Amino acid sequence: MSNMKLPAAGLAEEILADYKEELKESQIITFNLGEEYGVPISQVREIVRVAGITRVPNSPAYMEGVINLRGRVLPVLNLRKRLKLEDCGLSKSSRIIVTEVGSKVIGLLVDAVSHVIRVPAGVVEAPPEEVLEVDTDYLTGVCKLKERLVILLDLEKLLRREKFETSDVEQG
Amino acid sequence: MEFSELIKDFLDDADGHLAAFDGALMSLEQNGFNRDTVTGTLGSLHTLKGNAGMMGYESLKAFVHEVEGILKKVLDNDLELGQAMGLLFDSAHIIRNTLREIGENPRSKPELTEGIGLIRECLNGGASGLDIQPADPAAYLGTKTDTIKVDFKKLNDLLNLVGELVIYKTRLNQIETQIRGEVRNKATTKELKDGLDAMGKMIAGLQEGIMRARMLPVSTVFHKFPRMVRDLAKAQGKEIRLAFEGEDTELDKTIIDELEEPLLHIIRNAVDHGIEPPRERSGLGKPHSATITLSAGQESNYVIIKVMDDGRGMDVGRIREAAARKGLIGPDDQLSKEAALSLIFSAGFTTKQEATDVSGRGIGLDVVSRNISNLNGQVSADSVPGKGTLFTIKLPLSLAIIPALMTEAGGEVFAIPLSAVDESIKVRDEAIHIINNREVIRFRNRVMPVIRLDEFFGLSGKRPRRLYLVILGSGEKRVALAVSRLRGQQEIVIKPLDDTFGKSFGIAGASILGDGRVVLIIDVTSFWNGKVNCQEKVNACE
Repeated sequence: MSNMKLPAAGLAEEILADYKEELKESQIITFNLGEEYGVPISQVREIVRVAGITRVPNSPAYMEGVINLRGRVLPVLNLRKRLKLEDCGLSKSSRIIVTEVGSKVIGLLVDAVSHVIRVPAGVVEAPPEEVLEVDTDYLTGVCKLKERLVILLDLEKLLRREKFETSDVEQG
Repeated sequence: MEFSELIKDFLDDADGHLAAFDGALMSLEQNGFNRDTVTGTLGSLHTLKGNAGMMGYESLKAFVHEVEGILKKVLDNDLELGQAMGLLFDSAHIIRNTLREIGENPRSKPELTEGIGLIRECLNGGASGLDIQPADPAAYLGTKTDTIKVDFKKLNDLLNLVGELVIYKTRLNQIETQIRGEVRNKATTKELKDGLDAMGKMIAGLQEGIMRARMLPVSTVFHKFPRMVRDLAKAQGKEIRLAFEGEDTELDKTIIDELEEPLLHIIRNAVDHGIEPPRERSGLGKPHSATITLSAGQESNYVIIKVMDDGRGMDVGRIREAAARKGLIGPDDQLSKEAALSLIFSAGFTTKQEATDVSGRGIGLDVVSRNISNLNGQVSADSVPGKGTLFTIKLPLSLAIIPALMTEAGGEVFAIPLSAVDESIKVRDEAIHIINNREVIRFRNRVMPVIRLDEFFGLSGKRPRRLYLVILGSGEKRVALAVSRLRGQQEIVIKPLDDTFGKSFGIAGASILGDGRVVLIIDVTSFWNGKVNCQEKVNACE
């Protein structure tokens, strides 16, 4: 045994894998909110129809409520309201995209789900601030595909809980 | 608990400590002296000694005491570890044999005087080792145990599954009622019903079994306090005995965990402020040494925990004065003793200054009240000046599944935890009066505020001519929740709401009903804080 300090096994393989990951194209689920938006398919668990939403009083306006997802109480966020876009209510094509980000599973209410597209890593560009209606803080970028423009959402930032002042009474 | 059960617990526990001792010895032999290892194993031996004494195995207790002595000598550098190793291994051996003997015949009282003598001689250099008979290899296996350690998460997962099962069972029952009218063949529907009923019983049994597995004796919390009481009392020059009653009462582990802090506050208050110094006590003709009693007992679906002290008690008159100064009550308000005592749980009574005004009581009691409310429980106080104070905590047996009253308001279904419900009544809208811009109802000779649940949650709804009032009670306080319909009682599984909903004031969680619908569970604690004007709160959230 030499005294050289080696990191955990599989170093070369890990680097290679990361490198390949970078080159690889990613799959995006796109949906409509007036414009076309997208989230990585890796963050999407399933897509369900809208039914039986129970509203939760005294909660942020963009929280649509909760639904029963096979015995689980799933919070549903109205993506239009969250992005401060004009709210246009529910329609037949409305869907809930069930996403999983970190340990959080949350449903996103969208107008309609469009496609699954493959996006080569190279086409994603930084969001052009001046053109977009929404706050660019929540975007990872935009990708231009032929005539289409897909706005990629950063779910982690979007779902980060707004800071509620917690006025815990000092303990005696 | 039966003596035989106690013995079993003792042996299980002792085997664990002996294994730890053995492990430590092996480690010391291989790796040489290590202070942490020695101190660690001293802890195991100390517990073993205490338990042996408690079970009446005096000789074993004395023997373990000697073994502790050897290790302490090693720690103090009075004895070299190398010299002690042989003696320690032999001692472990003797303890093992003794435990085995007890396992075979619990009534036997193994005599270890000889071993104790030999250890002493060895330490004085008189003998070279203990007189050990060659071991039966089977002895190394120890006694067989009936207890297993399970990760609490696994039990939690199981309970969640059973919760789902309960939901689906309810669903099946609804379907059965539905098709009973439609199916001609009555024999089949009857069979279906019988099958469902049998399954329901099994599920109830399963649920109860898992709930039981999650339970711990309340002694696990109680036993955390003697040391604290001793130290606090000593620091203040007081003499206090902490007594226990009903320590075997079992509670769900989640409740046990949450109970520590409230009990800590209550006990600390009793020690700091309730109990008089010994001289003052003697002057009053009270026993020199004070007693704080922790007791636990079960009443139907609730556990009642009491903390009682024989100290100076609380002066209701001064509580009234302090409350009036603080603006919690009007100067001329006539308050019953119970109502006055319930004031000590309000947030206004927490600051040091007021606390000393009210015989020093009240520190952290609002925290206590809130913690207990969060557990769907209630806390109340009673006191006789000069005699002492009694705190009573009432808790549901389990947190995960609770009985609830299902109500309708503003077109939505809301579940109200039954533990908070005093009663429900049907009234005409005219029976509700307005005093000081607040709706109230006169009922059973008292006037209580009425909160319309639909308005509270900002839901629109028609004003029905008749409505139902669900009277919530906490101590002496009462509030009436107005709802449009009552849908009966039901066991519900509490699921917490995601934190993306913020504080969602008034909502404690959600539950899924048999028909798949999600209903919200009312947080009854939101109605108790006297300072909160509910209407304001709703407006603030909009």
